[in-house]
Amino acid sequence: MGYVAVTAGEEIIERAEDLFEKQRLDDDAPSLSVDQVDGQLSRLTAQAMSEGGLYAPRLAALAVIQAQGDTVEASFLLQAYRSTLERWDETNPVDPSDMFATRRVSPAYKDVPGGQILGPTKDYTQRLLDFDIEGADEIDPTADWDLPDAEPTTVRNVMDVLREEGLVHEPAADAADLDDPVDTTREPVTHPAGRDEVLQELARGETGAVTALGYSAMRGYGQVHPTLAEVRVGKLPVRITHPYTGDDVRVTDVEVSESEAVVPVYAKRDDPQFAFGYGLTFGRNERKTIAMTILDASIQLDSEAEPAENPEFVLDAVDGLDSFGFIEHLKLPHYVTFQSILDRIRAVREGRGLDAEVGTAASSAADGGDAPAQAPEVSDDD
Amino acid sequence: MTDAGADAADGTEPAAAAESGTQISATSVADAVDDLSGEGLSGYNYAYLDEHTKREVRRAILKGIAIPGHQVPFASRPMPLARGWGTGGIQASLSLLGPDDAFKVIDQGSDESVNAANVRRLAETTAEVETTTDTTEADVIQTRHRIPEEVLDEDQILVLQVPITDALRKVDSSDAANRRRHAHANYGKMWVHLYENVVEWGEIQIAARYPAMVAGRYLMDPSPIPRWDLPKLDDADNLFVFAAGREARIYAVPPHTDVEPLAFEDKSFQVERFPDQSCHSCGSTDTYLTEIETEEGTESDGGDRLYVCNDTSFCLKRQDDPGLAKDHHLDREGVDWGPGTPGGPAGADRDELAEGDGGDDA
Repeated sequence: MGYVAVTAGEEIIERAEDLFEKQRLDDDAPSLSVDQVDGQLSRLTAQAMSEGGLYAPRLAALAVIQAQGDTVEASFLLQAYRSTLERWDETNPVDPSDMFATRRVSPAYKDVPGGQILGPTKDYTQRLLDFDIEGADEIDPTADWDLPDAEPTTVRNVMDVLREEGLVHEPAADAADLDDPVDTTREPVTHPAGRDEVLQELARGETGAVTALGYSAMRGYGQVHPTLAEVRVGKLPVRITHPYTGDDVRVTDVEVSESEAVVPVYAKRDDPQFAFGYGLTFGRNERKTIAMTILDASIQLDSEAEPAENPEFVLDAVDGLDSFGFIEHLKLPHYVTFQSILDRIRAVREGRGLDAEVGTAASSAADGGDAPAQAPEVSDDD
Repeated sequence: MTDAGADAADGTEPAAAAESGTQISATSVADAVDDLSGEGLSGYNYAYLDEHTKREVRRAILKGIAIPGHQVPFASRPMPLARGWGTGGIQASLSLLGPDDAFKVIDQGSDESVNAANVRRLAETTAEVETTTDTTEADVIQTRHRIPEEVLDEDQILVLQVPITDALRKVDSSDAANRRRHAHANYGKMWVHLYENVVEWGEIQIAARYPAMVAGRYLMDPSPIPRWDLPKLDDADNLFVFAAGREARIYAVPPHTDVEPLAFEDKSFQVERFPDQSCHSCGSTDTYLTEIETEEGTESDGGDRLYVCNDTSFCLKRQDDPGLAKDHHLDREGVDWGPGTPGGPAGADRDELAEGDGGDDA
């Protein structure tokens, strides 16, 4: 016979896995360690943690290595692992002004309480390839900085200034949502989704998708062009209620990126106030957190006039695990459905007297006859 | 389909495993990393999912059975398989399977396709079930886009992987709007879509995923099974469970439920036609075939287009016993199981087609 049927089974899968693993180990260089990835490629691990919804830098580093740098695959590994873990408790809400910020810029004001903190950033670096980076002397360029010893301080939230003036609309919060937010990894999202669900889904959204949809709102497919009150990167304390003493105790810190913005779309006619948006991601990912802010503000408009303002559209499109899987599933065999599609297009062509000699007998199906000749609509192939 | 209960695969304390899912014994992240680099799935609960999740999935299935054709939302877990690759099906299967069950997995009709092997491997390693390729031997069959040619009986469950849960998605992308339509049994937009299809093309253009009305109440997307398989859902002896991991919905067709494809009085439902064709391997003329273009070229330039059975397991049996009936394993004959079986609503069409008649819709 002139064809090979698709027979594979487990041995072929295992061999394919071995070949993939070989790619990582293919040269003489030592393989990357978890420490190296955690320390030197922290943007990758941050993205994997943020999209995976699991703050675990070393596990994220492991996932990045295992995925050979594919961040969506790495976040997939983390999510699949996370889903097997018991959910013990919820943390107590923390105020963003409790953050110890290593970076904080407020585009809305020239100066703000606590000052602008540029911090570590490449924002103003000229994007020139540094050919000397490989093999360069590994000397810490900040080693000889003369820094005063000062206690780390938290800085006041810029939005508070605007809130005190009554300029910011507070979205109506359902008390039940505040006390007992839905965990969308344990309960399915149905629409209309609560804001607690929207923010969770955006926070776990795929960075590229969140960025693209956020950009769409600014590019003209939406009304939101925000003014950022501030963008901050820093450590937020994780607080729980101590199970025995009942005290509010700090158990660890997580590094997060946070942004808040006001939007000059007035929320109320009788008492005009700025609408606002909020974004927060694990790790350092300012691009995603700003785009999330835009999407949060857009979704609160609830107009459905533009893609970014339609919560169903946005939440369906930003889930990296969903889009990754469904796009790539097209690689699976589809010959059953394709045979069905072939049957339909042949039936239509036969109905019009086209190609009757090929393959199948002419159909006697009634026919519209003079319908316009254009590419037939072929039904969904799933 | 017994509930495996608290029998943790790694021998951890059963009661603890039942109540709290997976135990992570590591005292630090570094230890957890070390644990993860260990071999096998020893750190995981029986059948991978924790018991709470399995219970939730079973509840969703029971609710689906109680309201045939209605989509029940469930909190689909991220699985170690990519979404869109059978994660809903495997969550349903792992929630139903017990250690005494035999499990069969088919992907596009084949037990041996790579994805079927991968799904089967996950069930084997985590649920310790027997696996089989024989449809008649299996207690639970997970399938992507086919219903087997051999008749299923009342002791079997067919779990269908579902990519798109709602037939109405064709006419409205909004799930919220479509849930309202289902609540009101308002399917006018779908009927208009079918009507426009007929007006424009002379045929209903829906190939696979053909919409069907379940128990006269809910419009259902039967997953992308070919139209060929749709009549098998009607008044079957077995339970059909439809599970979508990515879209987080489960629905069901219980045994002996009416399932009727949408069609018009003067434009009847039509299954795929294979006029004058028989399986190149076993000679069957009453099975769903797929065509293969051989290397020698396409039909138009003199090459051969071969047709072969899509259900590879049944095809192998037919190669040994060409006259084997689709209900050969049952204690009764003439069971209605779609095209090519006695009494099947479209069966008569198939006989005609096998003799070279066209797909008349009179």
